Amino acid sequence: MSVSHEPFDTFAALHAVGALDGDDLRAFEAHLAAGCDRCATLVQQTEQALARAAMAGPPEPPPSAVREQLVKRAAAAGAPGRRRWLPWTLGIVAAAIATGAFSAAYVAARYEARLGQMARETAAAKERVARTEAELREELALLRDPTTLLVELRGQAAAPGAVGRVLWADGGGGLLLATQLPPPPPGKVYALWTLAGDAPRAAGVFVPDESGRATLRVAADGSGGPVRVLSVTVEPAGGASAPTGAVALAPR
Amino acid sequence: MSNGADLIRQMAEGDAEAFARFYDRYAPLIYPLILRILPDPTDAAECLQDVFWESRQRARTYDAERATPDAWLVTQARERAIDRMRGARRRRDAAPLGTSPRPRLAEATAPLERSAAVDRSVLMRAFERLPDPQREALELAYYGGLTQTEITARLKQPLGTVKTRLRLALDRLREMVKPT
Repeated sequence: MSVSHEPFDTFAALHAVGALDGDDLRAFEAHLAAGCDRCATLVQQTEQALARAAMAGPPEPPPSAVREQLVKRAAAAGAPGRRRWLPWTLGIVAAAIATGAFSAAYVAARYEARLGQMARETAAAKERVARTEAELREELALLRDPTTLLVELRGQAAAPGAVGRVLWADGGGGLLLATQLPPPPPGKVYALWTLAGDAPRAAGVFVPDESGRATLRVAADGSGGPVRVLSVTVEPAGGASAPTGAVALAPR
Repeated sequence: MSNGADLIRQMAEGDAEAFARFYDRYAPLIYPLILRILPDPTDAAECLQDVFWESRQRARTYDAERATPDAWLVTQARERAIDRMRGARRRRDAAPLGTSPRPRLAEATAPLERSAAVDRSVLMRAFERLPDPQREALELAYYGGLTQTEITARLKQPLGTVKTRLRLALDRLREMVKPT
């Protein structure tokens, strides 16, 4: 517990009555999310005090039609809240459309659909983050490897203004970073080649982004021998087994 | 006789009889609160229906450790009623000038004349026992659904003053209605 718990005692009371907003609301939600039991209890006690007071008064019978409709609807529906997404959602939507009166159920179905969409987006975002993390780990390993070399590449006939660098470790592969590359001609891509023995080896193809930048991760060369030459040429989009096109980047 | 939490559990299993008993027990207690927020009886009845159907749909997620059945239901009822009131207010605000009266402070705090039962409610008596400035702020929040910033604008009081009034009002209310 901190020395002073204010302003959170006040925030907790106001939150229970729905009056908190703006920065106070954000601060309080973060505070609650951090696990403040005192505030959670205070919110709960205030809500219960309001409920106790609200329900302690003399009853007022509602119109009988409300009960009739609810009972009829409950008899027709299955057990509520089961996690069978499609039938549940369809059931809710159908009932809402059929009666035209149960807007809360329709809203609930929409929220469920939205939650499903959010879950898919979250899963996709997690996957992207995991991929990015794996790539960063590989790049970090490359930078930490004492045998990693920095090879500078200069623009050639196919891309005179281009500049490139390759971080290369014979045992760990490499990373090509290039800038100021023009878009390749239609049907063409850029291809990176490594030369370890007598024959060049295709190390991957790429297309620069709109700003002319490109990054290409290259797996370790399986030949075992030290790579002597790295170059980038323009090749057909389907790929080539050996460099045939104009050279875009080559060592200085 | 089943208690509220038992009825909620049975409702979650699709027990239509438990749902009817839950309604019979709580609807007459919830209805005055909804009427206080939504004075139009048609609106209030529709809202009551939404609240109970939603409570049935959400019964599976009810956690007795987190809220009593009373608090669970009253919180839902108040939120739904205020959502409806805000919706009606937005529609009214969107109407061309001169076709509909603007919402006034009195609408959020108007004494309910329709029902003597509502007027006698313990909650209102508890509210009435608060000093006027605290009661006014609490009624705007509880019945009017206004936030601290909106209350500040309505009452033309500093934000800190509004927060203090609400805090004191709720502290006193907790004391007044706490179980004996």
